[in-house]
Amino acid sequence: MRRALRLYKVFVSQSLKSLVEYKVDFLTGAISFLINQTLNIAFLYIIFSQIPNLIGWEFEQIVFIYGFSLIPKGLDHLLANNLWKVGYYIVDSGDFDKYLTRPVNTLFHVMFESFEVDALGELIVGIALLVSTVGSLGVKFTVLDLILFIVIIPFAASIYTSIKIIFASVAFKTKRSGHIIHVFYMVNDFAKYPTTIYNNLIRTIITYVIPFAFTGFYPASYFLTGENPLFNLGGTILIASVLMTLAIFIWHKMLRTYESAGS
Amino acid sequence: MRNSLKIYKPFTLTGIQEFMIYKANFLFFIGGEILFCFITFFVWKAVFNSSSSDSFMGFTMTNMVVYLFMTYLSSILTSSDAAYAIGEEIVSGSIAMRLIKPVNYDVSFLFQEIGNKIIITSIMLIPVIFGIEVYKFIVSGEIQFQWIHFLTYFLSIMLGYIISFYFNICFGFLAFYLKNLWGANMLKESIIRFLSGAIIPIAFLPQTMGNILNLMPFASLTYTPVMIYMGTYNISETIFFLGLQVFWIIVFFGLSKLIWSAAIKKLCVQGG
Repeated sequence: MRRALRLYKVFVSQSLKSLVEYKVDFLTGAISFLINQTLNIAFLYIIFSQIPNLIGWEFEQIVFIYGFSLIPKGLDHLLANNLWKVGYYIVDSGDFDKYLTRPVNTLFHVMFESFEVDALGELIVGIALLVSTVGSLGVKFTVLDLILFIVIIPFAASIYTSIKIIFASVAFKTKRSGHIIHVFYMVNDFAKYPTTIYNNLIRTIITYVIPFAFTGFYPASYFLTGENPLFNLGGTILIASVLMTLAIFIWHKMLRTYESAGS
Repeated sequence: MRNSLKIYKPFTLTGIQEFMIYKANFLFFIGGEILFCFITFFVWKAVFNSSSSDSFMGFTMTNMVVYLFMTYLSSILTSSDAAYAIGEEIVSGSIAMRLIKPVNYDVSFLFQEIGNKIIITSIMLIPVIFGIEVYKFIVSGEIQFQWIHFLTYFLSIMLGYIISFYFNICFGFLAFYLKNLWGANMLKESIIRFLSGAIIPIAFLPQTMGNILNLMPFASLTYTPVMIYMGTYNISETIFFLGLQVFWIIVFFGLSKLIWSAAIKKLCVQGG
């Protein structure tokens, strides 16, 4: 554990160095996330200027859910972005060999090798949306809630990471799986809205199959309404743990089929 | 003319072959995009359910569905990877190979991508339009398809694609300053998505803002063709907006030539 932390510190400092080299790239990346989210909020704002509520949900509540969903997403983006590269080109180019020759767990190494500061765009917008809506919602936010919030976020983020791990490891067989990760990752957009707006099929999928609803709407709705902590929070923890275990298992199983593509 | 078509034909064939090799990527790409379409569909459905009247700012739910899926189709047909392609060639230096050939660099890019678009159009255009018309038939009980709208739409979508292509060529020149176009590209995509009415129809925006956006080049990409298909414009408006599309083609074509002639002097390809 100590060794892992020390290694992680080295990885981060290496990433930060390359960041300094590509300052403008970093700025455009972070700004683009910021603008993207602002435009989505503008969309909600224009809709809500015409209707009193969205099937029972107020504007501030929808914004709260939206902001909440950005935080696990941003956290995963910050820490485990390298998995995308596994799917897009690390395996395909033969560069994955590097990770196999090092005395570190492959998943740990490849996942934490890069530290994606672009994600600050999502994290900052997410936190800003929560802070700005929580006052006008009239919800009492106690110390216990804050603790629960801090506990639940890493679990929610790990749902993202697990799904990326599972589909990145497909690349060990097919050489490239970036586009598969992309399709499944895109499902997370469903988590930004109350699941009640979808039909049964989609609701079942985002709850039990690709459980992104647990990264946004379910935990957020607990903090809004205080209802169903067992399902909304307990479910998040349970699903996240199961999914992560499964992901680690699949990664190592698929890794055994890996053949280098290098020449 | 005949001769120059002959020169560029191999580029188109390359584009077609390229598509064939990477067809799985494309399928996953449209799969991801259609998810976005469905999320927006459900959000609008909830909006219409929460609204007290049948229409929302002049759109009925049927209009909205047609709008969403037509915008989805149109943004795929008019999208261009030119910025990425040219950016990559500048950064890697492989643009040198293009420069030593007796062809126009932009026209060769264009014909290569047209190869791609021919396949995409033949796969997607008819099924999506057919699906939309069947949906309209089920809702209204009558066939509402009009050839004139379809053909004008097709003309407008081609103009839209050429605007998109030359806009992206101009954008690709940013690669002279940025090492990695990924962030800038994402910024461009999200801004275009908003300004072209893909997130929210321009008609829903405050009047003056809507008027300005309508004249901007981004509305010419997908919004104009979709509005033409939906029959929102009368004849004189249609002619005006088609003319506007031609105007933007000329602007971005000229701009790309201008930047190119300035940039080519700066271009320095390392290694070889």
